[in-house]
Amino acid sequence: MIKNYFKIAFRHLWKNRLSTALNFVGLTVGLASIMTLGFGVYAYHSADAFIENKEALYTLKTVETNGNVSDQTTYPLLGEIVHSAPEVIGATHIQGWNWPWLKVKDIETQKNTKYVDTSFFKVFTLPLKYGNSKTALKNKYDIVISEEVSRQLFGDINPVGQTIQADDSLNLTVQGVFKPINPYSSVAFDVLLPTALLELNPGFKQGADWYNTFATNYLRVKKDTDIEALEHTVLDIAMRNYQNTEGLKKLRLDSFLNYREGYNPTVGKIIKGSLATIFFILLIVVINLLNLNTSIIYNRHKELAVRKIIGSGKRSLIMQFCIENGILVFTALLLAGILFVQVLLPAMNAIYGSRFGNIHFNLGSDYPLLFGYFLIGLLITLTVGVLPTLKIISFPVVTAIKGKIHNSKNSFFVRNAFITVQFALAIIFICTALILNNQIHYMQNVPLGYDAQGVSIVKLNLDFKDREAANSRIQILLEQLKNNPYVQGFATTEVIPTAYHYNYNDFYDPVTKAELNIRKGFTGTGYSKTFGIPLIQGREFDERRDASENNSVMINKKAMEALGWKDIKNKQLTEKGGAEETYNVIGVMEDFHYQDMQKSVEPILHYYGGKRGLGYNNRYLSIKTTPGKETVVLNTLKKSFDQIPSRHAFDYELLESRIHGQYKLLEGILGTVNYVAFLTILISSLGMFGLISLMARKRIKEIGIRKTLGAGVGKIAYLLSKDFIKLVLLACLIAFPIAWYVMDKWLQDFAYRIAIKWWMFLLAGVIALCITAVTVGFQSVKAALANPVKSLRTE
Amino acid sequence: MLIELKNIFKWVNSGGNRFFLLKDINLKIEQGAFISVMGPSGSGKSTLLNILGMLDTFDEGDYYFNGQPVHQLKEKYRSRLYKEHIGFVFQAYHLIDELTVYENIETPLLYKKVSSPERKALVSDMLDRFNIVGKKDLFPAQLSGGQQQLVGVARALISKPKLLLADEPTGNLNSKQGAEIMELFKRLNQEDGVTVVQVTHSEKNAAYGSQILELLDGRIISK
Repeated sequence: MIKNYFKIAFRHLWKNRLSTALNFVGLTVGLASIMTLGFGVYAYHSADAFIENKEALYTLKTVETNGNVSDQTTYPLLGEIVHSAPEVIGATHIQGWNWPWLKVKDIETQKNTKYVDTSFFKVFTLPLKYGNSKTALKNKYDIVISEEVSRQLFGDINPVGQTIQADDSLNLTVQGVFKPINPYSSVAFDVLLPTALLELNPGFKQGADWYNTFATNYLRVKKDTDIEALEHTVLDIAMRNYQNTEGLKKLRLDSFLNYREGYNPTVGKIIKGSLATIFFILLIVVINLLNLNTSIIYNRHKELAVRKIIGSGKRSLIMQFCIENGILVFTALLLAGILFVQVLLPAMNAIYGSRFGNIHFNLGSDYPLLFGYFLIGLLITLTVGVLPTLKIISFPVVTAIKGKIHNSKNSFFVRNAFITVQFALAIIFICTALILNNQIHYMQNVPLGYDAQGVSIVKLNLDFKDREAANSRIQILLEQLKNNPYVQGFATTEVIPTAYHYNYNDFYDPVTKAELNIRKGFTGTGYSKTFGIPLIQGREFDERRDASENNSVMINKKAMEALGWKDIKNKQLTEKGGAEETYNVIGVMEDFHYQDMQKSVEPILHYYGGKRGLGYNNRYLSIKTTPGKETVVLNTLKKSFDQIPSRHAFDYELLESRIHGQYKLLEGILGTVNYVAFLTILISSLGMFGLISLMARKRIKEIGIRKTLGAGVGKIAYLLSKDFIKLVLLACLIAFPIAWYVMDKWLQDFAYRIAIKWWMFLLAGVIALCITAVTVGFQSVKAALANPVKSLRTE
Repeated sequence: MLIELKNIFKWVNSGGNRFFLLKDINLKIEQGAFISVMGPSGSGKSTLLNILGMLDTFDEGDYYFNGQPVHQLKEKYRSRLYKEHIGFVFQAYHLIDELTVYENIETPLLYKKVSSPERKALVSDMLDRFNIVGKKDLFPAQLSGGQQQLVGVARALISKPKLLLADEPTGNLNSKQGAEIMELFKRLNQEDGVTVVQVTHSEKNAAYGSQILELLDGRIISK
């Protein structure tokens, strides 16, 4: 019996091979996309699976009276909390500082390193492959490494107890090796060191006081802990110890469950968007199958009636349709799997990998997903196999066998509603793609307020073997740059446009007492000139006044305005906290876009970072060359740098490509939206194409008669396609407000945004209409061109 | 008594008027009878046949099949009854296009869950008997009308029905093919004792039967 079902199913699929092929293509691509997006969502949600009992896990957030919320607190706070709040079982910082070079024999590596407290393993239940999580990191000189680092340094042995030399000076003992962490996890690191070691670092120790807020805190609390009471305790500690409690409103305990969305809202959006897209693609795919199946089944009502008369029960008829659809769906699922692993997943990694890490499908651990996909396949099969069948088999056989069944008004309505929904979705995606495309184009072309042309960026921090020697060599190189005719300017700085740290502090005017939270960084001589940032008042830093320049700062126009100044004559700024140093404001820069256009220009302040060279703060060497001469200058520089012994190789990047790179994630999202828009319109058109060919077949007699009565090709093509065109127009009406609403909301995320224009919708509508016209037109013209004598005879 | 119809009425309502398809039909059919139903178009022949075959319902009256009150049976039992005992032959053959001759004949057995070896034996017998062994792997579209109808009859007979209902079985056939089918019916009736009820327009075909039933405007006008 089953064999018979399959045999018939294959013959039917073959008989309707056009619609089978259309269904199959749409299904395969749709399912592959669902798989890929689903895998992304799954990877994201399972990434933190190793952390047990997340409900009891909290992070600390600083809430200020002005509404600002940040993840950072002062460093000593956490120790004090553990000390005085017994409900806290364990707490840890995950502190980034330096990434030491790890050396075993001749092998050296530098990986993402984090400093954590002794109870780290109580907070994050990170499973260890080797070692004991109860004792690891208890000792100042302990180190815990990832499986990958372990393999790199030690090969395949258990390295627990072995020694690693850090930065050629410290001997660390391996106390644990942890299993690979999913790249989408909230916590990312390859090497763990105890904070006790970090506290030995004078540079760190100096800042780790009760003033600077830079530490992130993770706490695991006892069950049924009164969080509000704990927050009170924490605030109490802060109020007693903080050097600056002004503006501090609260220290909030945020559940770790909401951690990632809060940390990076874009990720939350991507995940939500993916889920919605999965649902919509699924909807479109199912609608297609339902519509086509309904049409096909109406063409097969006679066969169904005969089967009933010769003894088939309803159940076996439904079974037959389910098997036919099952073959289609599961073959498509299989092929989609290949497409997913081979094509789409690598494509997704290319888009999001650089930002979030590459993910790979691993049958061993990701098998729950396979069940999910299988279930989706089964669900689709049942839906599209059972629903269209139910109605037709309830018709009395007598009517069916005489061929008196016609699509009822009701089923036309359902079909039309389906098509409208499909196209509305497709149009929404097209609108989204168009608007996002315009926004990105706008952000990339808006004047930056500085001149990026001809500017190259060299990373100075190459981990030189001998820093002193390197510095003197670099001094010579910089002298040569000064004399290079192609070099118009250069600077060595801590910050450059596209790379400003999240480093803020409060400053006040000692005269007016006006206070302002300002973003800050170290720059130096030649900065404004190199980047072509217009000075509106005062002067640039000048290394010839090196001795006094340490008391000088430059600000941007925004800061000047926010401080209520008309000019900077005799103006000073005092930095709060610590020594309360006062600086002379020597220059005001025009507001230039030092970060991407998603964010607005804030008040910024530049300290003087010392003479040009490999100073303590200087991370970048920026060189402005005559346009076109970048390669000449940089290649000469490279040759000289290569002679200085260092762990990293000399590398440079054009500022323009860095600026472009800021939008990589957005462009990735745009790429995905483009793809989905294309996919939805493709699948919808395939469905419509199949429908209209079935319809033309059904109306072949009518077309023949009309033609014999003198209707032209245009008339008949119009007759067949007008309903579909109407549906697409209706879909436009539904889609436009939704697209407008969604995009308007999204654009609020961008500090500098385009206005949504009516022509964007018009264009989306025209695209959808053109595609419909081509799809429908092709089939209807074909039907209209058919010889009426032939079509009438076949009846 | 195989079939007994008592005061069968069937009507449709259209625009407030009741239009009778069948009026007060009383009919008894003995096991082994061969009845030809005749009458002009729209006289209710096919409706009567469909009611006999339990494919269609009626609005009033009693119908006993093999002693069972069909009018009181639930749909499920009714369909079981006709699947067991009734075979249908159609004017337009109504073979399943996607199935070969062999498969078309085999299908009713599949639905009855007959075991595979038994199916094979039964279908082979039938192919032999109708002399279409050589055509068993062809599809309906590859056969002539007469051959298709032969397959149709074979399919109707495969489950050994007591009653064979035929709605103008020779309507689409030429006279020679028609005569062959009629001969076949006659043989089935006489040799195997299958009760046959056929609807026909042709006097000549009607003559193959043992009894002629004439309908006009939904009434039996002569038996």
